[in-house]
Amino acid sequence: MADLEVSNLSVHYKKLTATHSVSLSANSGDIIGFIGADGAGKSSLMHAIAGVIHFEGTVSYKGYTYHSPQECEKIKPEISLMPQGIGLVLYDTLSVEEHLEFFADIRDIKQDEKFLAYKEKLLHMSGLSEFTKRLAGNLSGGMMQKLSLICALLHRPKLLILDEPTTGVDPLSRLELWDILDAIRKEEGTIALVSTAYMQEAAKMDKILLFDEGKIIAQGSNAELIDSIRPFTYQALKEYREDVITFDKRSYSLAPLQAQVAEPTLEGLFFINALKNNKTLPPVEIGDKEQQESVPPVIMQAKGLTKYFGDFIADDHIDIELKSAEILGLLGANGAGKTTFIKMLLGLYKIDEGSLSLLGKDIKSADDRLELKSKIGYVSQHFALYNDMTVRENLIYFANMHKIPLDKALQRIKKYAYELGFAPYMDKFPTELPLGVNQRFSIAAALLHEPLVLFLDEPTSGVDTIARAQFWQILHKLKEKWGISILITTHYMSEAEYCDRVVLLKRGKKIADDTVANLYKAHPDAKSFEDIFLSYFEAQI
Amino acid sequence: MRINIIKAYMLKEFKELVRTRLIVMVYLLPSMILILFGYGIRMDVSHARLIIIDNDQSKLSQTLSSKFEHTKYFDTVERHMSETQALREIKQAKKDAILIIPSSFEKNLLKGEKSELGIFIDAAFPTRGTTIETYIQGTILSMAKEVLAKKGVAQKGMITINSRSLFNQAMRDEDAIVPGLIGLVLLIAPAILAALLIVKEKEKGTIFNFYASPLSKNEFLAAKLLPAFLLHSLNIFILFLLSVYLFEVPFRGSFFLYWLASELYILVSLSLGMFISVITKRQIVAVVLTVIITLIPGFLYSGIIMPISSMDGASQIEAHLFPIMYYNHIIYDTFLIGEGFASQKNLLYLGILLLFTLVLFSVGKLLLKKEMK
Amino acid sequence: MKSFFTVFSKEIISFMRSIPLVAVILYSFTADIYIAGAGMQIKPRNVVIGYVDNSGGGLSQKILSHFHQPEFVTPKPYLSQKALSRAIFNKEVLVGLIFNSDFEKKYKKHEDTQLDVLIDATAASQSLTTLAYLHNIILDFEKVDIPLKLQSHKLFNQNADNHSFMALTELLSMITLLSVILTAIVFVKEKEDGTWDLMLLMPVNPKIIILAKSASQVFIVTAGVVLALGFVILTTFNTPLNGSFWSFMLLTLLYGFSSAGIGLFVAAISKDVMQVAQLSIVIMMPLIFLSGAWTPIYAMSPVFQKLSLISPLRYYIEGSESIFYRGTAFVDLLPYFGGVTLLGVLLYWYGFRKIGRLF
Repeated sequence: MADLEVSNLSVHYKKLTATHSVSLSANSGDIIGFIGADGAGKSSLMHAIAGVIHFEGTVSYKGYTYHSPQECEKIKPEISLMPQGIGLVLYDTLSVEEHLEFFADIRDIKQDEKFLAYKEKLLHMSGLSEFTKRLAGNLSGGMMQKLSLICALLHRPKLLILDEPTTGVDPLSRLELWDILDAIRKEEGTIALVSTAYMQEAAKMDKILLFDEGKIIAQGSNAELIDSIRPFTYQALKEYREDVITFDKRSYSLAPLQAQVAEPTLEGLFFINALKNNKTLPPVEIGDKEQQESVPPVIMQAKGLTKYFGDFIADDHIDIELKSAEILGLLGANGAGKTTFIKMLLGLYKIDEGSLSLLGKDIKSADDRLELKSKIGYVSQHFALYNDMTVRENLIYFANMHKIPLDKALQRIKKYAYELGFAPYMDKFPTELPLGVNQRFSIAAALLHEPLVLFLDEPTSGVDTIARAQFWQILHKLKEKWGISILITTHYMSEAEYCDRVVLLKRGKKIADDTVANLYKAHPDAKSFEDIFLSYFEAQI
Repeated sequence: MRINIIKAYMLKEFKELVRTRLIVMVYLLPSMILILFGYGIRMDVSHARLIIIDNDQSKLSQTLSSKFEHTKYFDTVERHMSETQALREIKQAKKDAILIIPSSFEKNLLKGEKSELGIFIDAAFPTRGTTIETYIQGTILSMAKEVLAKKGVAQKGMITINSRSLFNQAMRDEDAIVPGLIGLVLLIAPAILAALLIVKEKEKGTIFNFYASPLSKNEFLAAKLLPAFLLHSLNIFILFLLSVYLFEVPFRGSFFLYWLASELYILVSLSLGMFISVITKRQIVAVVLTVIITLIPGFLYSGIIMPISSMDGASQIEAHLFPIMYYNHIIYDTFLIGEGFASQKNLLYLGILLLFTLVLFSVGKLLLKKEMK
Repeated sequence: MKSFFTVFSKEIISFMRSIPLVAVILYSFTADIYIAGAGMQIKPRNVVIGYVDNSGGGLSQKILSHFHQPEFVTPKPYLSQKALSRAIFNKEVLVGLIFNSDFEKKYKKHEDTQLDVLIDATAASQSLTTLAYLHNIILDFEKVDIPLKLQSHKLFNQNADNHSFMALTELLSMITLLSVILTAIVFVKEKEDGTWDLMLLMPVNPKIIILAKSASQVFIVTAGVVLALGFVILTTFNTPLNGSFWSFMLLTLLYGFSSAGIGLFVAAISKDVMQVAQLSIVIMMPLIFLSGAWTPIYAMSPVFQKLSLISPLRYYIEGSESIFYRGTAFVDLLPYFGGVTLLGVLLYWYGFRKIGRLF
């Protein structure tokens, strides 16, 4: 019998069944990866195993079997749960050091020399040693996640349950988190259950479980899973076929194709599964813009843009140019100053130093922005939408605010709903929809007035693989059909490759600005863009 | 119950309270309510603005006017104006009452002939209106009696009322209101704090630290409620000092009883807050619910506005279902009466407060689940 | 103007969608006001009188028979002064009368007689009124022939009907409470959700958005006022409306904006709903209690009198009471309109600067 045996476990939320009779097993030292779309039942299963939610079925851990949170109490000293959400379990007003003390105390750990040495090691591994006095509320997202993780590791748990510990975390921090995890399981023989949206990360796990609609539909090691989809993976087809999904250099098909086979990646698993469920990824069709305008060759020109928050310099004399019909990726670690930069461009933050011109117009004061407002689209980090109005009402509202005549607005909304694939959800409320749908309809809201430039702040964080694939298709079509310019920030390094040019920010300074191809040339050893990114950041820490 | 775990959790609570500045509310709110209500509510009428239109201008009418001028109840002005003009001043809310003395007032009174005095009162605020009316009538009649007695007109023996106000000889509003306010304040403030402390973790997500750790329900509750209890224990003294020194309310009873009852009462309030935070999910809902449950009934049944003994059947029962009535009985005793532990009723009420604590706490604890909903 | 209605109607839709909120508003403007009007009583009612009668009856019983419902409960006899004092100590009795053994004798001999009265002065207002009542009974009883006729007119509220007054006061407090909180919440919710940034980026003057959003909340409150007037104030309690209905509605509208301005101010300086709640309590408590609703401004301490000048509620309460009871002419109401408007303009000016602009 394995150290951890889960059998026929189901979790019900009100009337909804989140997890259907799931079984799994794991042994000491195993890292088990959970992957799957939003709402596939990963979190519910984790909550059930950690004994924080009522469930049906049994869990047995090292011979002790429990059926309810009450029965789980007995082994809670052995368990650690890190729930989903950046900094969710942290107290904003406590410092890093105080968090460690607090978590040690509530776990009743004796603070002897051995513990102190362990604590130092964790701090060092997480790179938080210098920041022990900083309040959690002032940490960047990546640091928060690392702090949450070492707090969860403090009592040397034998069963570690981590729910998307790396979402919203920059690649460098992700790597550090992974190192910590790997070291611990080797030293402590910890069983780790980890869910993730990053496939490069999942690839490193001992075993991967793919969740869909509350069930585990595929499992195995990275190699096994990749093997399982190899027969269905081909080089990208040129033309669209209904039974084929094509994305990023590869095509997936259940029926044999007359095409060259390609080496699959884990992402392929999602596409194959979609095909098995008779779902396809119809190509995005974006219609032409209704009115054509002449566009200056340089859409945005920032020179020496600087922002201070007290003594802290969020953005330090940044020069960035956005050309017409260009997709520019803005990358950087958490807290590097990306969001601040975009907010300065939009006028949501005051520009402390430097000059800015948008669409050929110098921005000196808010008055200069008035006529530009109808030419800029913006999607913020959290897809700011009105949750008490349906998708349709939201869109009509935004159209009205943009003073688009109603008949024209309705026409456009209908068109976008179809083109961006959220037509079936028009009368639903945003809170009822998967993140990927919200994301596409936020884009629609930002496109209603046919802007010349789009500013997108982390539009893909937490969105599942397929939805992200569709999202990027939309962006490329927009560029192609409308000649729109896009400035986008993301933590998915694979997405950097879809950009025409990328700018890297580090601690408020620009450290690289080039096309993806040129960057690859400059880093001949790099296997993926992630490697290039890391080379910039690891260089001088 | 592991003491060091509770201590560690409490330490964290204190740090958070201080750093989120919630602690300001802990001390600001009670004192603010006490001061605002203490200064802002006046049940008796003083400085009512009275116009006297003296059409007689005799010695007797002057005497009458000066009677009004020498009382704290009225701010009097003597004017020569028409009734209409004076009424307009009332309509503009510049004056509260008019007294019109007729031209042959002295002559008629001494002759024993009837003369008619006109009184106009702004009764928009009815209670005040009635009181002002009573005062004016009383002043005039007592003066008339005096004058007539001097002239030997009155022949009958008279009944004089010899009233003794117990507990509050000076009939000061402060003495009557401020102790009752302590009961109101110590009901609202600790309940809000306790409600916030738990629901805050639920809303933020840090409640997972409790769910997923071996911390027991008792330890968690102790860690949450003790800081609130200790912080508000200081309020017992602050409110006492404000009452005695700022409002100069006498303190005649046992301080020990005051302290004991207050600590017990804070426990009642905390248990109520805890109960609310267990059944709610969002901070704002918890706060609003706490305020609704505590403020209005607390005010109604505090005895400030009307004594419980004067309430109707239904209100009378409701008042007994609410802790403030019991506590305020003890508080009024300690400030104004001074029976202390000798009074069986005080002891009984202490017991009832204890019962409130036990029941509310047990129900709250029963409903608190160490799992997600 | 079209943008104004877009925002306005969107807010109304959002409001209607939140059923608990609608329920709270309906409750606040109907049941709550009814309860306040029906339940709050400051006049003596059911006052419990105890007495010790050593005089042998007759005269004492005649006096006692004057105490009757609804003001008084039938007086309770006690055997000794000690027992009576105990009852007062235990708050079972509010006023105690002691008839000495020579009470009736002396009175019949036309000597001056004394009636001892014990009063629980912790309930000062009831006690005082009871005492005044007692004086009147005795005066009446003695039938002293004073040749004076006191022609007393209680203006505006002849029956001294307390219910209508309390209900009106509660309505005015409710208007304040809801305009401030509702407005603060609609703004802070947008700030929290990030939609406010989007609104600032719309090609619409942010001032119009701010005005439209607050107007929607003022509209909701005004609708509540109409409801309260129709179902509770003017009907159930028969509150007199001696002035013009439209003056009151206009004053309410202006005041609604002014207190929405306070809400805007609160939202502008707070980060989340929690801070809004805390700040609203701190700002509104003084506002309501120093408004003159409970104690007239002139009877307060001088510092509070000065402070009350910056409370829009002060003007509103005085103005509304004047309209309802005093039937004051429009010209004489102008100071109230002026005060409310001026404070509102200042608050909006701050709100526009703080959250209503790009850089």
